[in-house]
Amino acid sequence: MTFWHYLGRKLFQLALTTLIIVTLIFFLFRVMPGDPVKTIIDPQMPPEARAQLRAQFGLDKPPVVQYLIFLKNAARGNWGVSFFQQEPVFRIIMRKLPNTLLLFTSAVVLAYLIGVPIGKRIAWKRGTPTEAVVTFVGIFFYTTFLPWLALIMIWLFAYKGIPLPWGGVLQLPLRGMMTPEIWSDPAASALTKGLDVAVHLLLPLFVLVLIFFARFMLLMRSSMLDTLEEDYIVTARAKGLEDRVIMNRHAARNAMLPVVTAMALSLAFSLNGGVLTEKVFSWPGLGTELIDAVMKNDYPLAQAAFIFLAVIVLVANLIADILYIFLDPRIGFES
Amino acid sequence: MKTNGKVRRYLFAVMCASVLGSMVVMCQCGGSQLPLLGRKVVLKVGMQEEPSTLNILNYQSVWSGYVLGRFYRTLYDEGPVDFEMVPILAESLPEYDAATTSCIVRLRRGITWDDGVPFTAADVVFTANMHLQIKIPSLYYAAWEFIDRVEALDDYTVKFVLKTPRATFFSNTLLPDNFILPRHRWRSVVEDIKFTADPVGNLMEYQPNVPVGLGPFRFVEWRRGSYIKVVSNPNFYGRGLKLKGLEFGPFMDEILYKIYRNTDTAILALKKGDIDYIWWPIQPGYLDELKGHPDIAVTTNPANGWKFLAFHCNREPFSDVNFRRACHWLIDKDFLVERVLQRHGQRADNVVPPVNKFWHNPDVPVIGKGMTKAERWREAKEILTNAGYSWVVPPEIREDGAVTPGKGLRMSNGEPVRTFSLLTPTADYDPLRAISGTYIQQWWKEFGIPVNAVPTSVNDILRRADPTGDFDVYILGWIRLPIDPEYLSTLFTSRQAVKDGNNTSCYRNPAYDALAAQADAEMDREARRRIIFRMQEIIAADVPYITLYAEDVIEAYRKDRFTGWVNEPMGIGNPWSILTIKPVQPR
Repeated sequence: MTFWHYLGRKLFQLALTTLIIVTLIFFLFRVMPGDPVKTIIDPQMPPEARAQLRAQFGLDKPPVVQYLIFLKNAARGNWGVSFFQQEPVFRIIMRKLPNTLLLFTSAVVLAYLIGVPIGKRIAWKRGTPTEAVVTFVGIFFYTTFLPWLALIMIWLFAYKGIPLPWGGVLQLPLRGMMTPEIWSDPAASALTKGLDVAVHLLLPLFVLVLIFFARFMLLMRSSMLDTLEEDYIVTARAKGLEDRVIMNRHAARNAMLPVVTAMALSLAFSLNGGVLTEKVFSWPGLGTELIDAVMKNDYPLAQAAFIFLAVIVLVANLIADILYIFLDPRIGFES
Repeated sequence: MKTNGKVRRYLFAVMCASVLGSMVVMCQCGGSQLPLLGRKVVLKVGMQEEPSTLNILNYQSVWSGYVLGRFYRTLYDEGPVDFEMVPILAESLPEYDAATTSCIVRLRRGITWDDGVPFTAADVVFTANMHLQIKIPSLYYAAWEFIDRVEALDDYTVKFVLKTPRATFFSNTLLPDNFILPRHRWRSVVEDIKFTADPVGNLMEYQPNVPVGLGPFRFVEWRRGSYIKVVSNPNFYGRGLKLKGLEFGPFMDEILYKIYRNTDTAILALKKGDIDYIWWPIQPGYLDELKGHPDIAVTTNPANGWKFLAFHCNREPFSDVNFRRACHWLIDKDFLVERVLQRHGQRADNVVPPVNKFWHNPDVPVIGKGMTKAERWREAKEILTNAGYSWVVPPEIREDGAVTPGKGLRMSNGEPVRTFSLLTPTADYDPLRAISGTYIQQWWKEFGIPVNAVPTSVNDILRRADPTGDFDVYILGWIRLPIDPEYLSTLFTSRQAVKDGNNTSCYRNPAYDALAAQADAEMDREARRRIIFRMQEIIAADVPYITLYAEDVIEAYRKDRFTGWVNEPMGIGNPWSILTIKPVQPR
């Protein structure tokens, strides 16, 4: 099999899986308890009004007909209009996506850059007190309930503040990604606004990195420990290679495979943000939008958001598969 | 090369240090307390969600109302504190003809939209015709269906012609939710969509970038997910007016609505001084934390709403009014208020709450108030026994007040009462209703009534709470009822006992239907009040709903920042407060 055959087969699988996911998501939302028309609670709304609303939402047609209409519109790039925001769902998703990317993707990348080297080193130093302490810290953050940690951090850094040596208190912002007083001021420069976003990013980023870094570190440690047992590592030692070379070129490269997959999936899953993280930090991202849409039975928004995320996860998987070709020397193709 | 590398590293370090230094300086300033605001008076409001749209025709959430209600006005409004109707864009109360099928509304002169265009009768007629032609479901049926036409007699006089006399013309058409639109901004929008395949959908989708209104504030900016800024309208016609001892401003330059997705952070922001008021009711659990703060005031107001338990009156045994009455006697509302609400609420004994003073009938019998369990059991047992019910093991009430549980209630035909479900919202949605449901289950079971409380997602209860839905008994609530008790007609009349109707209990009583029809057509307020009183008595006697309790509305604000909030049922977050609060002078 050549690389192009392999890629073609993967792309076909991706398209087929996407169609299955689209179908499943569409019907799952329709069998979910609730009725979008009934979430509008108004004692003055007569049955005629609800019937009219149902027709306006397209819910008066049989589910199969609704599905075919949805497929036809989606193929044309029309993902529908949110029942409650009355805005094209694609526009809503695209509006929230940059905020989510900014916070969660930077957290994943930072956590990866910190977690992987630490995981590599502590595996190398197995049995030392350093390994025990760092592993304990990793397990602590890995198992910590994120909203609890976030609230503690908010209370500590944003409410109480940290006294500074030269006087005054360092207080990070409590919420969101911008200070309204700065952003609504016409005199505020772009630099001030940029710094303001950076300041708002600090606390949620710190909390997320703490959690994510632990995941990457523990995974890298575990993978590295397995690799260090391999015969080729013993051979490398017998050849008298330097520790640094064995650790980085022989062990770490092979131990990276599961971590690369985890990284690709984490990046993909980071796009839906974390509902709880966004709630706690009042971060205007996709996660909150998604959960609100599900709670209100806003089918077009909820299904579009889920399908969007599913496709991103599938694409991330494909990228991980392709990366394997380059990382794993055991995988090869006919020329 | 080495030197260049060193220089580059040095420059990089300096740059990083500068950025970090700037960030530290910003953090030290406390973010929102930066001196950028100058001498402007800014009210900073914390909101849990943001509006769904700036389209006033499509606002479906309270959050939209909190913002859009600052720009748009209605012809009349419910006045401060007592809810009596007051003219807003009108200059006087409406003048009806003898047959009460037409009504003249005279408009205030000299009002301009915030873009400087004068407000005239043409705007009112345009708004009315738009509703009559496009028929937006959420507004048309309640407010415009019974209107024949609306005409401008001159620039400042409008005539409404009704198809038939309708009492709710006053409360639904002239009062809130029917905001007057600027004709010069909306005419082209309406003309463009009027003849499309889906005019309602297209009109709802319209997104005005900058809403033009004539209220006390003008829209400036909305950063989605973060904040909304509005500034005071210098041309606001109401400035300096007085009503019921209140003087109207607004006495601030701006309102900044900040979005806080959770109460914990909003409370911290209030304590820190980042916001001046949290515009949503807070849980009693926060009271201790807030009461200790020297600059925060907490207000408690009764709600114009209630949590209720509804029976499916088409199903046995709920089709028997005696069974429903006995169930009512068995519920200890005093206990629910005392233990479940921790006294942060009141019993609900009537479908029109006492805070709605004009329409509330104080003579509706109160069931079980202050009574012991034995006394309530005696009443329930008497009702059921007289109606022919029996038990396998009858509940016993001894002279000393002790009771022995009953078992196996049987209907008058000898058949056992089937085990039925009591649907309650889940504890994560509303712990109070979930716990109340568990207690009610326990009280009924003790008396031999076979019931199971089933915690259910609120969306599922809402779906099933339909006249054609699959339920036995459910617990839900009306949090904010309209002041006009028109809902007595929509919640309990036979014409609403159809799919998608509001009479979810399927309660049918021809005498009640006739009274509701009379109430709808009665234009004399006092005469209508007498009919509404009678309707309350019938509902209390027939028990399609059991009203359980009403939670208090607890709110918090910074007393060192603004003063003069207007306390109303449903809280201080009302349009009158925003017009009357004044900044506190610095100490």
